[in-house]
Amino acid sequence: MNGSDDFLTAQHLHKEFDGFTAVDNVSFSIRRQEIFGLLGPNGAGKTTTIRMLSTVLSPDDGEITIGGNSVTGESDKVRQVIGVCPQELALYPELSATDNLVFFGRMAGLSGRDAKSAAAENLERVGLLDRARDKIEKFSGGMKRRVNLAIALMSRPQLLFLDEPTVGIDPQSRNHIFETVEALRDSGLTVLYTTHYMEEADRLCDRLAIMDNGRIVAMGTPHDLKSEIGDPAEVTLETVFLELTGRSLRD
Amino acid sequence: MLLPFHIALLEVKRYVGSGQELAFSVALPIVLFALMYGAFGGEESFHATAHVVDLDYGTHSRALINNLDTLDEITVRERTLDDANGALDRSAILTAVVIPAGFSAGLEAGEPVAITFRKRGNGGNTGQIIEAIVRSVVQQMASEARVRATVGSALSGAAIPPDRIDSVVGRLLGESRLRPSVTVETRWLGGDQSDPIDRLVPGLLVMFLMFAVTMNAQTLVEERQNGTLERLMTTRLGVNQLFLGKFMAGVLRAVVQAMTLLALAFAALRIGDAIDFVELAVFSALVAMAVSALGLVIGSVARTRDQAIWAAVFITMFMTVFGGTFFDLAGSGPLDFLSRFTLTRYAIDSMFAMLASGQTLAGQFTGIAVHVGVAAVALVIARTMFRVAGGGR
Repeated sequence: MNGSDDFLTAQHLHKEFDGFTAVDNVSFSIRRQEIFGLLGPNGAGKTTTIRMLSTVLSPDDGEITIGGNSVTGESDKVRQVIGVCPQELALYPELSATDNLVFFGRMAGLSGRDAKSAAAENLERVGLLDRARDKIEKFSGGMKRRVNLAIALMSRPQLLFLDEPTVGIDPQSRNHIFETVEALRDSGLTVLYTTHYMEEADRLCDRLAIMDNGRIVAMGTPHDLKSEIGDPAEVTLETVFLELTGRSLRD
Repeated sequence: MLLPFHIALLEVKRYVGSGQELAFSVALPIVLFALMYGAFGGEESFHATAHVVDLDYGTHSRALINNLDTLDEITVRERTLDDANGALDRSAILTAVVIPAGFSAGLEAGEPVAITFRKRGNGGNTGQIIEAIVRSVVQQMASEARVRATVGSALSGAAIPPDRIDSVVGRLLGESRLRPSVTVETRWLGGDQSDPIDRLVPGLLVMFLMFAVTMNAQTLVEERQNGTLERLMTTRLGVNQLFLGKFMAGVLRAVVQAMTLLALAFAALRIGDAIDFVELAVFSALVAMAVSALGLVIGSVARTRDQAIWAAVFITMFMTVFGGTFFDLAGSGPLDFLSRFTLTRYAIDSMFAMLASGQTLAGQFTGIAVHVGVAAVALVIARTMFRVAGGGR
């Protein structure tokens, strides 16, 4: 778990809110240039885990290091190497796509010129360079999701947190995001990816962890996890997921 | 170091990009000011054109026209009799003053003379005022002519040259005009204000500055609800920098509003000079600092936009109503006591003192101390509440 190739290590993470345990003794690591999936039903603790990893929340217990820096003790250094694409569309709708990207670029410490250059580069990466001057409020849901991802790349991160980046969008936009994430991984980025879509996790993730009720219930490559249930050529990741987390409805 | 400026710049861009906010903060002061201008007028005193026909063209008729033309209230336009009659027939004018032939000679001889007011209907309000002013000027001229004639007649047997008599009488009459034996003093009811505008302008100005409480209270809540606050917390931006940026943006927005209103007031109502403008602008910025910081306190605690708006509206209304926005509450018992717990009271008192009483900005120690103190304390509270309420790291 603590191999030298690990870019992120989380050990014994614990977080409670008003007596409710959201994350319970969670430990995992993510290797460099790996897409690591975090799967789980609603309320499993995925977003709380990402919020702790991305310095927004402090864990009640446990330790996280990213790039060799402690998230709690050296959060300033950690923020210099991470990019966060939150589940909700964290955008300023009354501003243009470029203005949104340039602003977050400045927040990441880029100069004005570098921020503009990075904004154009990232808008091109997500296929929206031709809409750079349009206000976000005029964009479709899929386009907003792509801008949300482009903003996460403005800090030129080494580790990218993608929290359900494809929720509620059309197949074309979803496919474009897949291709972007794969290209980012190939260019050297490490990715933590959460999703509800099993086929998405199967396609993208090198390894994944399945969370339920705040705990990690299984971890491994998609092939390994499927092998635990049956013939990996016939078993789907969804079957594994339902087997591990049950079939009862969640909120 | 520059991150707070980028936060402030972002707020300004969002402010300009949002038509509603821009209209509310800039267009509304203009509309309100237009209403105020309509109610109180752009001039402090009456002004109209007197249409005069001079059939005499003698020394005293020319002096009368000259005297009328030097009055601030009147501009004289001379017409021929036919022209004046034609304009009256067409209702182009409602009153014409006709100085008859022989007016100067009659006045010189001490004989009764008359000028004529030709009117359409009752001459209109303006015509009636012009008539009263002309009547007053003519009567004064007639009185002075009578004094000259009487003194000249009484001293006709003495060995004093007529020129000398005329000169001395003229000097005495001039002194009498400068130091009249009877003066008229105006006092306004309801306090010692000299002009309602002097209180109304600061009241309106402070009322608009108070809107910054609501706007600043919303900005943090919006960021929280949009998810951008959490995203910002994963960047290099510190919470103190976030607050500084939001604070600067709030002050800037409020100052833009204040400048709009002040510029209109000074240009159209002529309520003060350039120094007054600068001093009021600086004081407005201090008020903007205090109210922006109060807005951030609300924004730090509120969890929804509705909570933020209602809390801000309550504070704004309390200050507007109990702070004596448009009426002086000094000496009014319970209201006077309540007003001491509002920023409005201190802001308006200071602005009124600068505008109406000729005091300077440097003399407004209490007003300055209250606003700077509230701004500093509120910023500390807002920052603390933000951490306690779980708004950020």
